[in-house]
Amino acid sequence: MAEAPTTTEVTAPGGLVLAAEEFTVSEEPYYLPLGDEVELFEAAFEQRIPVLLKGPTGCGKTRFVEYMSWRLGRPVTRISQGGEAPENDEGPRPFVTVACHEDLTASDLVGRYLLDTDGTRWIDGPLTRAVKTGAICYLDEVVEARKDTTVLIHPLTDYRRLLPIEKLGQVVEAANGFLLVISYNPGYQSALKDLKHSTRQRFISVEFTYPTRDQEAEIISHESGVDPAVAIELAKLGEKVRNLKEHGLSEGVSTRLLIYAGRLIERGIEPRRAAQVGVTWALTDDLEVQRSIEEVVTSIFE
Amino acid sequence: MSVAGVLLVRNRNRFEGFPEPLFEAYEGSLRALESRLTPTQLEGWSQAGLDLMAISLRSWESAAEYFKAGPQLAESTPWEIYEQLAREANDLTEQSAPLAVSFLRSAPQTLSHIGPNHLAQWADFGRRLYKGNWKSSSLAAQFYDAGPDLFSTSRVSHAGRLVVFLDELARHSYELASACLTAAPEVLARLENTDRMPFLTFGVELAQTSWADSRLFFDRGVPLIQRVHGPVRERYLTLAAQVARDHSRSVFQYFEDAAQALGDVEPEDHGAVIELAEQLVPHSAYAAMDFITNAPEVLGKVRIDELAAWQDHGLGILASSREGGEAYFRLQSSRGEEVLDTLSARVELSKVGDILRLYAKALTGKDISIHAAAVLTEKGIGWVDEERASTEGTTIYLPEVMERYRNKEENFASVKVFTTHQAAHLEFESFSFGFERASTLFEDLRPTIPEDSNTKPATEIERFFDLFPDRTLASDLHEIAEDARIDAAIKRNYAGIRRALMRMQHEELAHRPEVSELPLRQAFVENLVRVSLDGVEAVRWPAEQQESMSSGVAILQRLNAENATPEDAAEATLRLYQLAMSIRNERDESDEDWESLPDVDQESLQLDMSELGGEGAPMEMGEPQDGEADYESPQDIDFRGDFKPELVQLLMKLRDDAEMGDAGQISPDQLTEEQLKELLEKSAEIDLDTLLEGDLQNSTGMFLSNLLKEAGTPTLDSEGQSDQPLSDLSTGGEEADEPLEPIVTTHYYDEWDFRAQDYKPRWCAVKEAALEEGGEEFYDETLREYAALVAQTRKQFELMKPELFRKIKKLSDGEDVELDPAIEWMIDIRTGVSPSDKIYWRRNKVERDVAIAFLLDMSASTDEEIARRDQQYDESDDDPRKYLSWWVTKRRQELAAPPKRIIDLEKEATVLLITALETIGDEYGIYGFSGYGRDNVEFFVIKDFDERFGDQIKKRIDKVTPIRSTRMGPAIRHAIHKLRETEAKVRILVLLSDGRPQDHGYGRDRTEKEYAIHDTKQALNEAKREGITPFALTVDRAGHDYLKTMCEDMGYEVVGDIESLPRRLPALYRRLTE
Repeated sequence: MAEAPTTTEVTAPGGLVLAAEEFTVSEEPYYLPLGDEVELFEAAFEQRIPVLLKGPTGCGKTRFVEYMSWRLGRPVTRISQGGEAPENDEGPRPFVTVACHEDLTASDLVGRYLLDTDGTRWIDGPLTRAVKTGAICYLDEVVEARKDTTVLIHPLTDYRRLLPIEKLGQVVEAANGFLLVISYNPGYQSALKDLKHSTRQRFISVEFTYPTRDQEAEIISHESGVDPAVAIELAKLGEKVRNLKEHGLSEGVSTRLLIYAGRLIERGIEPRRAAQVGVTWALTDDLEVQRSIEEVVTSIFE
Repeated sequence: MSVAGVLLVRNRNRFEGFPEPLFEAYEGSLRALESRLTPTQLEGWSQAGLDLMAISLRSWESAAEYFKAGPQLAESTPWEIYEQLAREANDLTEQSAPLAVSFLRSAPQTLSHIGPNHLAQWADFGRRLYKGNWKSSSLAAQFYDAGPDLFSTSRVSHAGRLVVFLDELARHSYELASACLTAAPEVLARLENTDRMPFLTFGVELAQTSWADSRLFFDRGVPLIQRVHGPVRERYLTLAAQVARDHSRSVFQYFEDAAQALGDVEPEDHGAVIELAEQLVPHSAYAAMDFITNAPEVLGKVRIDELAAWQDHGLGILASSREGGEAYFRLQSSRGEEVLDTLSARVELSKVGDILRLYAKALTGKDISIHAAAVLTEKGIGWVDEERASTEGTTIYLPEVMERYRNKEENFASVKVFTTHQAAHLEFESFSFGFERASTLFEDLRPTIPEDSNTKPATEIERFFDLFPDRTLASDLHEIAEDARIDAAIKRNYAGIRRALMRMQHEELAHRPEVSELPLRQAFVENLVRVSLDGVEAVRWPAEQQESMSSGVAILQRLNAENATPEDAAEATLRLYQLAMSIRNERDESDEDWESLPDVDQESLQLDMSELGGEGAPMEMGEPQDGEADYESPQDIDFRGDFKPELVQLLMKLRDDAEMGDAGQISPDQLTEEQLKELLEKSAEIDLDTLLEGDLQNSTGMFLSNLLKEAGTPTLDSEGQSDQPLSDLSTGGEEADEPLEPIVTTHYYDEWDFRAQDYKPRWCAVKEAALEEGGEEFYDETLREYAALVAQTRKQFELMKPELFRKIKKLSDGEDVELDPAIEWMIDIRTGVSPSDKIYWRRNKVERDVAIAFLLDMSASTDEEIARRDQQYDESDDDPRKYLSWWVTKRRQELAAPPKRIIDLEKEATVLLITALETIGDEYGIYGFSGYGRDNVEFFVIKDFDERFGDQIKKRIDKVTPIRSTRMGPAIRHAIHKLRETEAKVRILVLLSDGRPQDHGYGRDRTEKEYAIHDTKQALNEAKREGITPFALTVDRAGHDYLKTMCEDMGYEVVGDIESLPRRLPALYRRLTE
């Protein structure tokens, strides 16, 4: 878990290297709203209500947060109610994403001491940075993280908006723009990985489902550049394969995978083959289920 | 002076005239044996030697060996053996001194191998070989000489058989026998112990029939036989011996070829191949050997489980013509090749059913099962054709075997087309036709037609068909229209299968009857069939009457539109019916040419359509007229199968009614018996005559009860139902003759009364006892049957195995800085040494701490055989032929796959789960429950939490049997009690049942389900409150409705396909705890 160097704007091949809190979504990400989630998020942001995004993998949760971060960071003139000067939350909004894994501990989020020439030096973790700079902090798949992370999440998500840093004996008050967004996939019915009620009841919960066939076709077509006719077939495949969820598949095929398949097709790969590597094999190792999906693929694609 | 000394002095003179070494040997033996034998014995020993010398001129040689042999015998050898040795020596010397020399020379060593008790036997073996001539004498001598070598590996019985072999061979050639004997010790040593006897037996047979091959067999047999899989070698040799016994021609060649061939077959398949060959032996031994020889080639084309079918065909031929059969197995008959091709190309439903099930489920999004069409016909609910695909709304029925093409891919493709067509009926909603729902493509005519107000149609489709005077014609036209719509939808939606579908359509077109030979109305319908098969160009029609035909075609083709609905198909039917009725059903006697249709001008047809629509005017439905030929339905189309919308809608309605009944509601328009009868009598989809013979009244009743049973409704007529086991009745005397009364502890639990919203205190008595023990076989057999799955499960679970909790130090990254290395680091820096960056520590993963209680439903209903309900034979029918054919079918099915009961699968799943849990080391308990009434909830311990897994547990699993009712609440509470006693952090309760909770007094009356469900739900809630994760698993298809109530936000799963339970359960457990 090497920390990014604190010096900013070190150019590296491929692009910019930034400190975690300096990353902003500067280009508008493509996002097709499926319902009223955009309005809901905006309202929640204005009220600084933490948001929980529920939904199966690859249905666009991360993209949605990115999009919202961009959208909320647009220089919109906000006149606060008191008629004062616009608040200082204009301009690009910092956006910190942490993908949680099962070894992610509280100190990974808050920060830790590093050794320096003359002793130790404290370095802030991504959450601390987000809190200080007022970023949108997105903890992806939060149930995966260790339980000690809840200690941090709780005080940050109620009226206090505080981040305690135990090792420093400090408490950091969240900057104005800070918002905690977490995502959670209820699909894994694991007894060990359920979100506790004390945690989940601190968030409003926006449910994501797979888009409808037409919406999904539009997304696939946009993201992969594939012909709309092929996109609709891919969306149809997605819909059919999702019918197998809980009957051999523990998770339906994600829009992301369909897009990948679309990209392959766009690069000249034969559709059946693209669906095979992009969908069938990507989804399961069970030979029988693979064979069944294969049959669906060969029915849909010529 | 010692006894030896006395004897030496006394007998010195008897050695005169013999070479000096003889006396030396004598002296040596006396001195050596003096300490072992008593004086009398020693004297006897000496006397026997002296007697030997006197037998013949050369007998002193054997005496010399005798004296040498004595001291070499083991020290512990009893005196009797010395005596016996002397007797045998005497006997042999009388026959031939050199023989005795050999015998005595190798006796001590040989005896050390075979033990002194076999001395006489061994001597006899040699004697058998000796025939009085010198050749036989030297063979026998050679046999004795070989003794030590031979017996260092082989047993006496082997030697016996070897002697028989040598004896047989010696009749033909002593040289050969001698050569074989020379080779024998080594050859036998190279064989496995169990193979030796059969190897020699075959040798004996070989020596009898084609002795010249024996040498070859001895030289080359061993590596050959080692090509055969160990456990079945004996059977192979026995088989070969049988062949040798019956025939003399080139037996070894056959043996060699077949053994070579087996080497090319997978070892685990050898047993099956040999077994099949064994069946052929009584008919022709050659065929049996050829069968084995050609097995690799045949297996290159068919799977091992298809080999039997190929052999069976050949067996049939063999039984009628021996030459024919032999040629078949030599692969020299075209019939053999043909059968092979068909077999290798055919697709069996049992092999692809699972794939197709998921495929159909993916397409439709519904919980679809796949079964053989025969299963549907057995239900006796209107379907009669065992070969045709169909669906009754929840299951797709397909022919058991597809062997239409000479190639597997094509056969599978056609099964897929069958499945897709049936699935498309469900996906594109053929059965959700609503009479009053508007169509999208036509102007609705349905409301304009007067309905008979006296009838009360049971279903929407029935109401629609009621509009037509000629129901058969209407039904046929509707089928054509709907199938045309479905096929078009498939082609539009599934580009990938389009080609296969069109191919089948074209093949069907090629096999249609000659249209110009049909009466005109039938010809009209036939032409429509052709159009629906995408064959407008195949339409033939009298040139002068093109108009009606063209309109018909245009109407039908409209259904190709994307937005065509079942209602459109119905509207099309109405119009087509009118057109058809306008054509008299008689042969076209004019000499007019039948021509294909001119290109249809869509615009002009639109006009025709509106004319037909008859703006607002009530529509006249034609009726068959006098003087016409009777209308006959067109020839069936194979890939479309049976389409019976009326019946399907009826079944769906009955199911809905049954479900609403379950939920305590009465459907507002519940069907009456009269309605049902009426439907059955008039429907064109049911041919009661072929369905059930006997008087109509009776068969209608039977038919109705079958239908209701299928839909899950309690039957209307009660007769003949009493023999059906009710789940509340005890299934019998198993516990009556139980010898040992198990220790029973009783626990009391409250029960939740949802009406009172309160607990009934100490309401249920749970009696806990260890389950009695049966055999271990079930456990072991299950492991064998699922060997692959077991290995896979174990592997997966091993991956989950936790590492122990520990703090890992000296990492380059971790939770925090560790003090000691940090200080070292500082020191290094200060002293100018390059420091190590491993200064962090990190806690490793928490220990896996899971306890799971597993509750098995042991209610009587788990006794049910899977997918084979309603197979009882109707006793009232006493036609022996029918009974026989029924029995044969049933038997055949049972042989193909012995029926399993739900409980068997529960047990198998348990076994697999145990292997998984043992791998991972989680704490677990397995319990069964049943009982009758609140005072007697039986709770069987199969494995308690603190018990270790062992043979006892295996034996208990064997005794898991269906008993009585399902009172889930108290059983769950008791399991909670068990879990509470464990110290694990994560506690899980898995409930595996086959249906809803049910017991005597579990609710207001037997039929009330609410009470039981609420109590169960409450019990599960209690578990949650205790921090236990409950999970309900049911194999009941209808499980979704009550599990949703029972489990609300808890986990549950309905295993739709019961047979996948053993696979699902470990997977599920993984998901729950990973």
